[in-house]
Amino acid sequence: MTVDLTQFHDAFFEESFEALDAMEAALLKLDIGAPDPELINTIFRVAHSIKGGSATFGFTEIASFTHSLETLLDELRSATMPVTDQVSDTLLKSVDVMRAMLRAVQAKQPIDAQRVSDLQFDLEVIIATKNAAPAAATPPAVGQAPAPPAAIPAPTPRWQVRFRPYRELMARGNDPLRMLRELHELGEVRAQIDAQHLPPLAEIEPQDCHLAWTLELPGEIAEDAIRQVFDWAEGDCDLTIERLGAAPLAQTAQQPVETPTAPLAAETPAAAPAAPEATPPSAPPAPLAVARAETTAKADAGPGAPADSGSIRVSVDKIDELMNTVGELVITQAMLSQLGGQFEGPQAEQLRAGLGQLERNMRELQESVMRVRMLPISFVFSRFPRMVRDLAHRLGKQIELKLTGEQTELDKTVLEKIGDPLVHLVRNCIDHGIEPPEKRIAAGKPAAGTVHLDAAHRGGNIAVEVSDDGGGLDKDRILAKARSRGLVGANDTLSDAEIYELIFLPGFSTAEKTTDVSGRGVGMDVVRRNVKSLGGKIEVNSQSGRGSRFTITLPLTLAIVDGQSVAVGSETYIVPLISIVESMQLKNGNLSRLSGKGEVFSFRGDYLPIIRLHELFGVAPRTHELHEGLVVVAEGDGCRAGLFVDDLLGQQQVVIKSLETNYGHIEGISGATILGDGSVSLILDVPGLIRVASMRITA
Amino acid sequence: MSANTNGERQHGVESRQVLTFVLGSETYGVDILRVQEIRGWTAVTKIPHAPAHVLGVLNLRGSIVPIVDLRMRFALEHAEYTAITVIIVMSVLTPAGRRDFGVVVDGVSDVVDVNAAEVKPVPELGERGATEYLLGLVTIAERMVVLLDIDRLIGRELTAIGAGEDTEPLAADAA
Repeated sequence: MTVDLTQFHDAFFEESFEALDAMEAALLKLDIGAPDPELINTIFRVAHSIKGGSATFGFTEIASFTHSLETLLDELRSATMPVTDQVSDTLLKSVDVMRAMLRAVQAKQPIDAQRVSDLQFDLEVIIATKNAAPAAATPPAVGQAPAPPAAIPAPTPRWQVRFRPYRELMARGNDPLRMLRELHELGEVRAQIDAQHLPPLAEIEPQDCHLAWTLELPGEIAEDAIRQVFDWAEGDCDLTIERLGAAPLAQTAQQPVETPTAPLAAETPAAAPAAPEATPPSAPPAPLAVARAETTAKADAGPGAPADSGSIRVSVDKIDELMNTVGELVITQAMLSQLGGQFEGPQAEQLRAGLGQLERNMRELQESVMRVRMLPISFVFSRFPRMVRDLAHRLGKQIELKLTGEQTELDKTVLEKIGDPLVHLVRNCIDHGIEPPEKRIAAGKPAAGTVHLDAAHRGGNIAVEVSDDGGGLDKDRILAKARSRGLVGANDTLSDAEIYELIFLPGFSTAEKTTDVSGRGVGMDVVRRNVKSLGGKIEVNSQSGRGSRFTITLPLTLAIVDGQSVAVGSETYIVPLISIVESMQLKNGNLSRLSGKGEVFSFRGDYLPIIRLHELFGVAPRTHELHEGLVVVAEGDGCRAGLFVDDLLGQQQVVIKSLETNYGHIEGISGATILGDGSVSLILDVPGLIRVASMRITA
Repeated sequence: MSANTNGERQHGVESRQVLTFVLGSETYGVDILRVQEIRGWTAVTKIPHAPAHVLGVLNLRGSIVPIVDLRMRFALEHAEYTAITVIIVMSVLTPAGRRDFGVVVDGVSDVVDVNAAEVKPVPELGERGATEYLLGLVTIAERMVVLLDIDRLIGRELTAIGAGEDTEPLAADAA
């Protein structure tokens, strides 16, 4: 089975850009020193999802970068490293870099490898510094040039800022680069670097600041705003802010344009390799600086602008509202049509033609609105064959992927959100569940493991199952891990279900080493969170040596079912077409009774029970005689039965509405739908119905 | 009760608007903030295994809403459903969240302001639980109006149905 993965690229980009926006927002909210663990988890998840996605699609640069990022984030998450200004800054830069990489890949252009590797280096430096000496965590930052272009003639009234940081400025948590950026946000900055005090390369201390700046800003900026930028650096630098132009002082008039200090061009390139800094570039010779700075400025402006996309996202509520309004319209239209049929007169024909047109248009409108929301789950499933193949290959396992129920339609929003949890689950199955071939053969199982993905409408819900025939969950190891982390007391005994429940805790992983497949323990808590946010639940079932099964049950917010309308007395019920085997009229001959109780009829050599819907539902039927009505042979959960009804009405697609919103669950009924005339019709849940009926017979 | 009423209570002005409706010879009242809409009678779709007073469900602008016959709920004499029979759609707050349902009544009377000081307690009528869904009694235009606590009256039942229990209609009471 081959799948063209490129069709999912757009979705991946769209999701990733959105995720990055979320990560950026979370980073900006992050308190230095006392970070909210939930925010760190959010950030971590973004990095993890992008890593997973890009690895799946073969964007190795992105995957590799996010892996480093994730390692750093893992430190933060486990609180073994404090969140400093510098860390948060580097993380923000990482967001920019990831965005740039994604854009480049999206536009099929080469990735700016230098920028990426520089920042990746930074990330690793931070991780390494932490391991070496937790206190000294300032990165090398020498010879940074601010971003502004320098070629514009100075306007007359302006500010001149002379900023000479002391050597230890950076060690005190200030970053001159950030200040320069902030200044740049206030207005156009013209900057000159004074690199006179830059020591020879061999003597450079990466944590010391050797540079000084003379900056010019437009006169319309408030002095306070400029001072604010330097607020935090007060006492760590020499700062003078003067107004130029409007009331020129003799002294300042002489130096509006200072030539760059001579040694600058000569010395900084030498310093650059020792001090990798991705954005903006290390200060190279002046002309080049201008060119690079402009591109950087453009790239930096990018994050604010939303990424291009061919689709828009609309909230479910809006579509629900639209659907309901359309539903009302259909009812009004039906009423008008009925009324129109009674009109007589010269223009009656025209009226009817118009009403006919209205009806057609209405139907189309209704269908398109429905289509907006519904997609078969194959949309999500089809990304798995490639993923499974690649993973199996990389892990040296043989895996067969089985997909069933791909045509089950579900809500688009549900579909979008179920994708990531399923990826996590499938990855876990392959990485942890399925054993290597040798071990499988030793255990008497076929060398190739099976991962099975199944989707079905079940009792008013959608059930998606991910199962494997691997080793199952290792209860002892989960318990040991939970004990070592103090989640479970040393003497507590837990039931199997309670032990399995532990894997859904954030950060819980039994994997001995982290791979880029899975195993940081980010998976299961994300899965549960996503499923819960859809109002669903996830259950895990496992048998040691036999495999495990994860069942995600999602409520039916809105799903469409192909249904057969049947009449019982004055009521109309919908039988899902998928459960109907055939419909037939019974002859007196092929009917018999079992010990005077249940009625059975012969069908293709089998005897099937008859369920009289009118009895079960307490409705007065048109006929009690079996041969006068019809029997719908239906199948559910492997059982077949004949549903006795008065008549078949017609087939149609119906929107499933929940009865549980305002009422409650009814055995044998999966939901309700609204028919074209505005009346409500109940949708039968065939497996439930067979269950209820058999209980009545045996009772 | 709603946030609005609580707010008023804090200011010491305990007055609320009540929609009154007729059921046989009795007049009942419910908090107007709970009333979603008032509509004429239309045929309902029966639901299996439902308590007798739950007539069925209706389509209310796209959502499925159960309809309760209050006459049957209070075990009053059954009345025919005619073109002037009215359904009041209300929302109740249950532990499971907000739920909408409709009650069939003989007719809607009026919207009146009820001052908390005028509300008289419901006398004990011997039978336990028979009066627990009544908020109190109030006299309006020389008629007694029974104020209903619909959260208790309907909300509990709806929750019970969700949990698979049936609720039998209560014996004659309260009036």
